[in-house]
Amino acid sequence: MEVLSTIFNVALIVATIRTTAPILLVALGGSFTTKAGIFNIGLEGQMLIAAFFAVLGSIWTGSSLGGLVIGVAAALVFALVFAVLVISFRANEVVVGLALNILAGGMTISLMKAIFGTRGSIVGRGIVGLPKVQIPGARDILGPYAQLISGYTPLIYVAFIAVPLLILIYGRTRLGLYIRVVGEKPEAAEALGISIAKVRYTAALLCGLLAGLAGAHMSLGYITMFTENMSSGRGFMAVAILIFSGGDPWRVLAGCLLFGFADALSLRLQTFGFPSYLVLAVPYTVALTALFALSWKARPKLIRETIETMQRALSVHPAKSETPDTRSNRS
Amino acid sequence: MTFAVELKGITKRFGAFTANSGIDLAVRQGEIHAIIGENGAGKTTLMNVLFGLLQPDEGTISINGKTMAIDSPAVAINEGLGMVHQHFKLVPSLTVADNIFLGMEIRRSGLIDRAAQVERTRALSQKFGLKVDAQERVAGLSVGIEQRIEILKVLARNARTIILDEPTAVLTPQESRDLFETLRSFVDDGMTVIFISHHLEEVMAVSDTITVLRDGRVVATRPKQELTKRELVRLMVGRDVSFDRRPREATQGDAVLEVNDLWARDDRRLAALKSASFSVRAGEIVGIAGVAGNGQTELAEVLSGLREASHGSAKLYGQEITGHTPAEIRARGLAHVPGDRLARGVDRNASLSTNILMGRQRKAPFAKNGIINWSVVQDEMRALIKRFDIRARGPKDVAKSLSGGNIQKVVLAREFTAGGDMLLIDQPSRGVDIGAQEAIHDEIMQQRAEGRAILLISTQLDELKALADRIIVMFEGRIMGTVEGNTMDEDTIGLMMAGVDPSDVKEHE
Repeated sequence: MEVLSTIFNVALIVATIRTTAPILLVALGGSFTTKAGIFNIGLEGQMLIAAFFAVLGSIWTGSSLGGLVIGVAAALVFALVFAVLVISFRANEVVVGLALNILAGGMTISLMKAIFGTRGSIVGRGIVGLPKVQIPGARDILGPYAQLISGYTPLIYVAFIAVPLLILIYGRTRLGLYIRVVGEKPEAAEALGISIAKVRYTAALLCGLLAGLAGAHMSLGYITMFTENMSSGRGFMAVAILIFSGGDPWRVLAGCLLFGFADALSLRLQTFGFPSYLVLAVPYTVALTALFALSWKARPKLIRETIETMQRALSVHPAKSETPDTRSNRS
Repeated sequence: MTFAVELKGITKRFGAFTANSGIDLAVRQGEIHAIIGENGAGKTTLMNVLFGLLQPDEGTISINGKTMAIDSPAVAINEGLGMVHQHFKLVPSLTVADNIFLGMEIRRSGLIDRAAQVERTRALSQKFGLKVDAQERVAGLSVGIEQRIEILKVLARNARTIILDEPTAVLTPQESRDLFETLRSFVDDGMTVIFISHHLEEVMAVSDTITVLRDGRVVATRPKQELTKRELVRLMVGRDVSFDRRPREATQGDAVLEVNDLWARDDRRLAALKSASFSVRAGEIVGIAGVAGNGQTELAEVLSGLREASHGSAKLYGQEITGHTPAEIRARGLAHVPGDRLARGVDRNASLSTNILMGRQRKAPFAKNGIINWSVVQDEMRALIKRFDIRARGPKDVAKSLSGGNIQKVVLAREFTAGGDMLLIDQPSRGVDIGAQEAIHDEIMQQRAEGRAILLISTQLDELKALADRIIVMFEGRIMGTVEGNTMDEDTIGLMMAGVDPSDVKEHE
């Protein structure tokens, strides 16, 4: 009991909010592309490149804001390249996304070597982290619970405010409406003279913006350093959450909180001496299990049919279930 | 006199293919002008030129007497043209009002003003007598209502000349009738309607002037009064085509298919087929009439083994077929021409030979020791191409490169030669040209003469009238009654299709 109460306390909630923020930012970014009908697997790369350039920018300019701007700019460049290749040149989105992810990984390593002459990580060297926002009066009113709402870096507030903001954008603005229409029924947009390309470019760049913020938060937030491949699959987790949420902001938030909680929990468990390689797998396992459970109810027709066919094939009278008819049905 | 729309010498080429060749078309203000022609006659191309979706290679377009270049739909809309496309372009997750105002949203301080949009939608709906629920989501609405929304969309953009491309292709007869009334009221208000169709009855019923296209040229433009249906067909097809009841001999034999108290559910798990009982004898064509979606699809699927029956029995040659797989039912002698030929009839991306092989890939002479003998398959396909007059270059053509009518002939060719003596034919001439339709009917009559039992499901009464010995009418999954083919009366069937009991019908008379 005592162990449990040391694990589950206010600090855990605070940690959850902290770990949720970057993945929430990048997933909300991906929400734009998902809604616009683009499968953007390149979130990971955009995040990583932003994290690197944010560190670089903060050293150059000597300010965290400068780092933030440069980091976001780098992510936007990646988003733009993605958009040009996928939207204008109609390249395959998965191939382009993966290529950009690999490029981001390799580019950060070689730039690190070229600029800093090191491998692994950049620490110190004048990196300026993001300031923490103290909400005035929070401590007086909430006492020990003040840390729940106060003392985070600005981007954490941005991440959580972005959720209702996106709902407003999708529900009440022309841009949001067009993004949805372009994703759901491009022919309708085309027939009404809405430029599909323009809307998709906008969505891709908005995605780059939020992915860039997520990346900058990773390297300038609670830890001020850059390490190789420091996004460690968060971009891919975001992609998974997006697939299961369909880009809906509330569901994205729920998915991200789950992942963030598991992440925070695993950090906490590490301090209790559980083997670290097992603990590090916890967030991914939890997230995958939950997503699988969620999707099971609404599992796609293809999976359902495959299972039915397999059941039939394994049943007592298998013989002729695989007929030309059932085969042509699926085509 | 100024015309609402006047086209002069419009020619449109796609590479070596000329879709429209020197077309002259003059549409008077306040008339319903039908443009009729077979698939591929150039109707849709012409309308796309008029609406600015395509640019003509030659010719001029005048709208209300003003000659102009229409280089985008925006220009056309600005000139008061509105187009209702054949395939609706509505967004399912949005509401009716959102769809109508998509692209011209009413906004207040940067945000979309939903209340105002709903208000305007209601006003439009009332003014033009097109009933819709402005706040309902489009997903799940019937096609008839979807079409109303498309028309409202055009009206909201202040169109005075409305172009409808094959508007009735997806509608039930009742919905079509409602549509025609709406179009009439538009014309009474001084608007102009251009109506594209290949459906003769409708064109004769609703239009003032008819322009017939064939092979990209105008063959005739005449007031409706000066044309008969027969003449219209001759102009469209270029030869005489008969739609009369086919002569036949009474050749009925034993019952082949016996259906008794058969029930089935639809995909939403609701009862869609309720207590159907009937039989089909050898040498007989039994027609199933009904508005689409009244259980015919489910009936066909249960009989072919694609859907589970929830209750009751269906016997083919005395053997139960419910609960059996499609392959088992086929092995017992059922041949099935599915209603949705592209989804279930053919593999669009496969060659004609492959398509014809399906279902007999394990049988000699097409396969020996598990290895397919393609040269035999090709020969068979070549023979079938000849016998069924399939317009294809050869057996290696990919199915999707053929026209709808020819794809249907491929399906018929496979099913009619599959060796089954019970033919289940679902919508044989949906989306098929008149010429091809006649050939398909010939083939069905031939099958009847050879003593096969035929269950013919069709939403086209003409077709059933021409072919069926008996017509069973379905409504909401139930059989409303049976009518003898030679004495059938369209009004009685129409009432039964609308759910009126036949005994009430008699009293009514």
